[in-house]
Amino acid sequence: MARYIIRRLFTMVITMLVVSIVIFAVVEIAPGNVARNILGAYATPEQEKSMENQLGLDRPVATRYISWLFGSDWQAERKIGRPLKEIVIQQGIVERFRQWWAVDEDGSLVRWGIQDGQLYKYIRQPDGSTVGVPDEGAWRTDESGIQYFWGVDNANRAALWIKGQGGVEYRYEYSGWRKSENAPVDYIPLTKGLLRGDAGVSLRYRAPVSELIASRLKNSGILAALAFLVSIPLGLLLGLLAGLNEGKPADRILSLFGLVTTASPDFATGIFLIMIFSLWLKVLPGATVFASQTAILDNPKMLVLPVLTASLVEMGYILRITRASVVEVVQSNYVRTAVLKGLSRTQVVLRHVLRNSLLAPITVIMLHVNWLIGGLVVVESVFGYPGLGNFILNAALYKDVYAIEAASMFLILLAVGTQLIADIIYSFLNPRVRYA
Amino acid sequence: MAVESTFIRITPAQLRWRRFKEGVGLIFSSPTAVLGLAIVLIWVFIAIFAPYLTQYTPYEQDYKNVNKGPSPQHILGTDHLGRDVWARVAFGARTILLLAPISVGVAFLLGMILGLPAGYFGGWVDEVVMRILDSIMAFPTILLYMIIISAVGASPVNVVIAIAIGGAPGIARLIRALTLDIRTREYIAAARLRGDRPVHIMFREILPNCRGPLIVDLLLRIGYAAFYIGTLGFLGLGLPPPTPDWGGMVQEGHKFMTTNVWPVLSATVAIVTLVVGLNLFADGLREETMRYQ
Amino acid sequence: MKEEPILSVQNLAIAYKTRKGFIQAVRDVSFEIMPGENLGLVGESGCGKSTVAYSLVGFLGRNGRITNGRIIFKGQDMQSLDEKSLRELRGAHIAMVYQEPMSSLNPTMRIGRQLAEALAAHADLPADEIRRRCIKALEDVYMPEPESILVRYPHQLSGGQQQRVCIAMAMLNQPELLIMDEPTTALDVTVEAAVLDLVAELQEKFRTATLYISHNLGVIARVADKVGVMYAGELVELAPTAQIYSHPLHPYTVGLMRCLPDVDAPRGTRELHPIPGRVPSPAEVPAGCIFAPRCEYAAPECSEGRPSFEEITPGHFSRCWRAREWLETPLWTKKPAQSSTYVCAKPAAEEPILKVEDVRTYYPVPFTSVRSLIGLEKRRYVRAVDGVSLSVDCGYTLGIVGESGCGKSSLARTIVGLEAPTGGKMEFLGIDISDEPVERRRREVIRHLQMVFQNPDGTLNPSYTVGDQIAMSLKRFRVVPADEVYGRVVQLLEAVKLNETYYYRLPRQLSGGEKQRVGIARAIASNPKMVICDEPVSALDVSVQAAVLTLLQEIQQEYQTAMILISHDLSSVRFFSDYVAVMYLGKIVEYGQVEEIFSPPSHPYTAALLAAVPRPDPTLKQEFIRLSGEIPSPVNPPAGCRFHTRCPYKIGEICEREEPPARRMSMDHIIYCHLPADTLHAIHPVIRRSA
Repeated sequence: MARYIIRRLFTMVITMLVVSIVIFAVVEIAPGNVARNILGAYATPEQEKSMENQLGLDRPVATRYISWLFGSDWQAERKIGRPLKEIVIQQGIVERFRQWWAVDEDGSLVRWGIQDGQLYKYIRQPDGSTVGVPDEGAWRTDESGIQYFWGVDNANRAALWIKGQGGVEYRYEYSGWRKSENAPVDYIPLTKGLLRGDAGVSLRYRAPVSELIASRLKNSGILAALAFLVSIPLGLLLGLLAGLNEGKPADRILSLFGLVTTASPDFATGIFLIMIFSLWLKVLPGATVFASQTAILDNPKMLVLPVLTASLVEMGYILRITRASVVEVVQSNYVRTAVLKGLSRTQVVLRHVLRNSLLAPITVIMLHVNWLIGGLVVVESVFGYPGLGNFILNAALYKDVYAIEAASMFLILLAVGTQLIADIIYSFLNPRVRYA
Repeated sequence: MAVESTFIRITPAQLRWRRFKEGVGLIFSSPTAVLGLAIVLIWVFIAIFAPYLTQYTPYEQDYKNVNKGPSPQHILGTDHLGRDVWARVAFGARTILLLAPISVGVAFLLGMILGLPAGYFGGWVDEVVMRILDSIMAFPTILLYMIIISAVGASPVNVVIAIAIGGAPGIARLIRALTLDIRTREYIAAARLRGDRPVHIMFREILPNCRGPLIVDLLLRIGYAAFYIGTLGFLGLGLPPPTPDWGGMVQEGHKFMTTNVWPVLSATVAIVTLVVGLNLFADGLREETMRYQ
Repeated sequence: MKEEPILSVQNLAIAYKTRKGFIQAVRDVSFEIMPGENLGLVGESGCGKSTVAYSLVGFLGRNGRITNGRIIFKGQDMQSLDEKSLRELRGAHIAMVYQEPMSSLNPTMRIGRQLAEALAAHADLPADEIRRRCIKALEDVYMPEPESILVRYPHQLSGGQQQRVCIAMAMLNQPELLIMDEPTTALDVTVEAAVLDLVAELQEKFRTATLYISHNLGVIARVADKVGVMYAGELVELAPTAQIYSHPLHPYTVGLMRCLPDVDAPRGTRELHPIPGRVPSPAEVPAGCIFAPRCEYAAPECSEGRPSFEEITPGHFSRCWRAREWLETPLWTKKPAQSSTYVCAKPAAEEPILKVEDVRTYYPVPFTSVRSLIGLEKRRYVRAVDGVSLSVDCGYTLGIVGESGCGKSSLARTIVGLEAPTGGKMEFLGIDISDEPVERRRREVIRHLQMVFQNPDGTLNPSYTVGDQIAMSLKRFRVVPADEVYGRVVQLLEAVKLNETYYYRLPRQLSGGEKQRVGIARAIASNPKMVICDEPVSALDVSVQAAVLTLLQEIQQEYQTAMILISHDLSSVRFFSDYVAVMYLGKIVEYGQVEEIFSPPSHPYTAALLAAVPRPDPTLKQEFIRLSGEIPSPVNPPAGCRFHTRCPYKIGEICEREEPPARRMSMDHIIYCHLPADTLHAIHPVIRRSA
């Protein structure tokens, strides 16, 4: 048992590592770029370049990967020469901001900026405001006599200023484009790295990925939980029925039903259901448009079709597995023993068939979580449901690498986690494994 | 010793013919398999003779008739660009019936290269291969396709590559499992005892005996491949427009469903019948081989 | 007053539905079982024994049904019973014990519950009474610590223990009829003997009527009062045990007896007479007497009408047209053992062809705990072969006997190079082959060291024709030029009593015996100097076993091939070998010329093995040297003498501490035992002929 757990965990770590590298590499070689996606089709090459620079996308892919995994603050600290610190600012109950500051010799938190051609140090006050003081003495000189300075700017980046040689910075803000001279010439976006609990910032939404995922995860979770709730009991029950009546009409009908529902692509099932319930019978909405993405339970009617679609596919699968398993168990020698002991059919089914024939489906259901996730992507896409699947699909189309990475890592964790649970459940159901 | 008096000497050619007849007999002894095969053959027929079965090319646009229901000119109506839905369905069958078997073929090659040595040698070879496969399999298939396709772009070759990568681990595991079983058989020991090399044993002694389960599995996988080609098309990751592609048709028509369900309905029915047909065929064949053993 | 039979089966016929229509599996079977009587049903596989058994409890599956005849149990016609009354009979009045105890017990349920359920289904008893009875039942079958058995799962018991549990379960409700379907076939010979003892004892104690099914005439002779012989779905002979063994009245019964090697017959004193042909499949039963095509006494009229099942002498039935003739001219009587003319002369100066010295083969045990996985525990090994030394001379046969798990097959696989030895030295044809798996051996070595395998279904590659598989060896070793390969294959096929028509057949078109012949042809294709036969006949039916054994012997004599015969069956070893090694837990306990092994002085284990073999002669009263306990695990073998945990002659601490010394009893005869020589002389299987 321990052997399995260790192997699974090991596999999981390796998988996550490999997958994360692959995603970085794949996104890297992919044609098209994020900057253009952010800026739109009409951006000039300078604007694109500036944007890439600000996002740190012009750094080598290996460096970016390491930053993503282990963080970039320690790289920046070496350049800045001061320790860096990330603080969380709470505004109200829900809104939270993360800010990076450098820690000055006296312990105060500081940032820098160029004001009127002069380097300014902004010192954070206890009330959250800043006081700017000129900091011209901080310039350093390199061998060729150029004065430069590495500091933290006001957008959570380590920035390199060069005296008298300001870069051009295009900022995409709510107000529109802003071009600023005297901007830094190089940037390192600051992050703690995934291993230290920072999944990075979405390139698209400019918000922490973890928070973006969390809200969508909740929606998908509700969908998946409801689908499981419907499909597992029904699938097991119908599978048992079919298996016990092997070869009879009931079995044939159920088996065909299982085959058709599992074989039909999820989107086709969804489309059929929309046609029947939404276009034809007009009893249910064919798409999910929620007032707020956080309040999907307020309109349960909208959930019916997505849940039904996801359940049908899953149920057919469970039905087929259960049926096969029941058929095998019914033909086993120990069921023969039970029958010839003089037990009634009900007793034989409840005591001997049930437990042994559930061994296979339970593990399979757990291993099937991957499939369900795939199904969710499609179902969410069919119904426009604001869930994780839709989020990943859009992130993939947008090349929002940090969002894809975080979501993938989470899904692998989920998949391997459920496999682990499946192993443990299996070992409890099967004494042979437990006592091995 | 008594030798059966009824025995007639047969030649290798007769032997092959007899085996072929047995295989065909196997299919025809299962009503499920026959039904599945019939459905699949109908689509194969449509795909092959698509130009003769349609009046329009799948790209022709009829601006006067956009999003119309069935009419004598367009038996399944037109889509949002005024293209004939039947023509797109018929030519779409070509796309999917070409790409699905090719991608499964590539997946089989990959799976064979990984699965045979893993099962035959065991030990660290097996450990390494299995860990790689586990990694791929721990990843939701659709997500895998999405990332691959979104990265390398949508094209027939890329779809084939993506689906082959997604399908190879399953095939490799099956071949490995079969190999693990077969390598303990005594005829493998006999082959070693006449000095056969491992490569020879793997490909000549083991692989032919994986045949039965493998054929059923590959058939099932062609069904899955069609399933995923459709799904990728639906997610906008399939073949670039205007290629006739069933999944893509559903995606494009999805927005106009309230006004015209025909493009969506036709494409959906097409993909469901094809995939269900393939599954029925494979399933019937599997049950029959199990009974046969 | 005439006693009523418990069970009466009249003209029973059973058919199975298949795609091709109904197939008659059993025809016209009639017998009776009296209270307390044990009827043995014997026959080769596929002759319908088990089908008859399952029809008695109404369990033929969905495809089977009784097409004719009646089954009357305690005056009740079983076919008139509804599902409910049938259920009340099952388990309570008719109980069953099965061939495979492991798969017959529910793997996910504790033994206690499985037992209790059999009681609770038929009687409303309080829980503690149920428990008491379960424990009692386990005690009756000599299970140690019955309380602890109750909470165990089936896989935590050994095969013998599982079968005891099954017997206890069957006896729980004290049934009037007990059906035992090959209950000891899957067990080792010493375990089998213990179970047979138990069956006999229970029978004496409870006077349960029993239907005992077995393919083994020896087993039947030990347990049955009356024997029915089945062939191809029909009962061909039925008689009291003593009578059927001394005066059989059906040629098939005689055939079965004549093809058995006799463990008590010294080498060279007996010939085996295989029954030609094979059992017809139920779909193609010949017209006339079903046995006629294979019968050496068949007269022309035999293949015309079907003979009826007639009572020839009181209580003795036979289905043979000529049955009455056999009363006058007996078909067969057991000849008294002749004095052996067999001499095993060891060639004086010649070097042995194979020398094995102190060879060990260990298999690593898979890691099971976290500690072992990260290297905190010492790697453990299954010591399959643990220091074996032996040698084989040119043209002679060495037999290696032992029970399953003693390492005899591992030893064979190590010698041919399929497994790598962990240590020791092996020399073949004077070439050192110790460290080389077969892939790295010289072609000459491989060519001269071939193997015949156990399992006929696995021995041939199902994808290639028979001829191709033999030809492959010829081509590899370039035995003959390419254009002569076909002719040579045909010669080889003829050498194993097949013919040219087999060249293009696929393995699945062959019977088990034919596959085994092809396997032998393939092994001798390269003209090897030595062939290792790993249980070559144990998976075959008895009538076929004889043919294959005889064939092997002929081949050896013709080609002067050295052979190693690995077998668990002492009779075939005695029939075939010049030298014998007895193995126990990875070590050789006794080695010597064949007749030295089979007569005192003996190692206690050899004696126990010999005593355990069931003899097909009901007049022999066997007293079994009981081996206590279970075979220890080869992962952790006992220190000192490995046999000490089960040895009835253990003398004391020395057995537990010290490796037993090699006691040389004669020039070739070595016994590894602490016992003094005169005690070893006194040990011999106790077999008495009853008055």
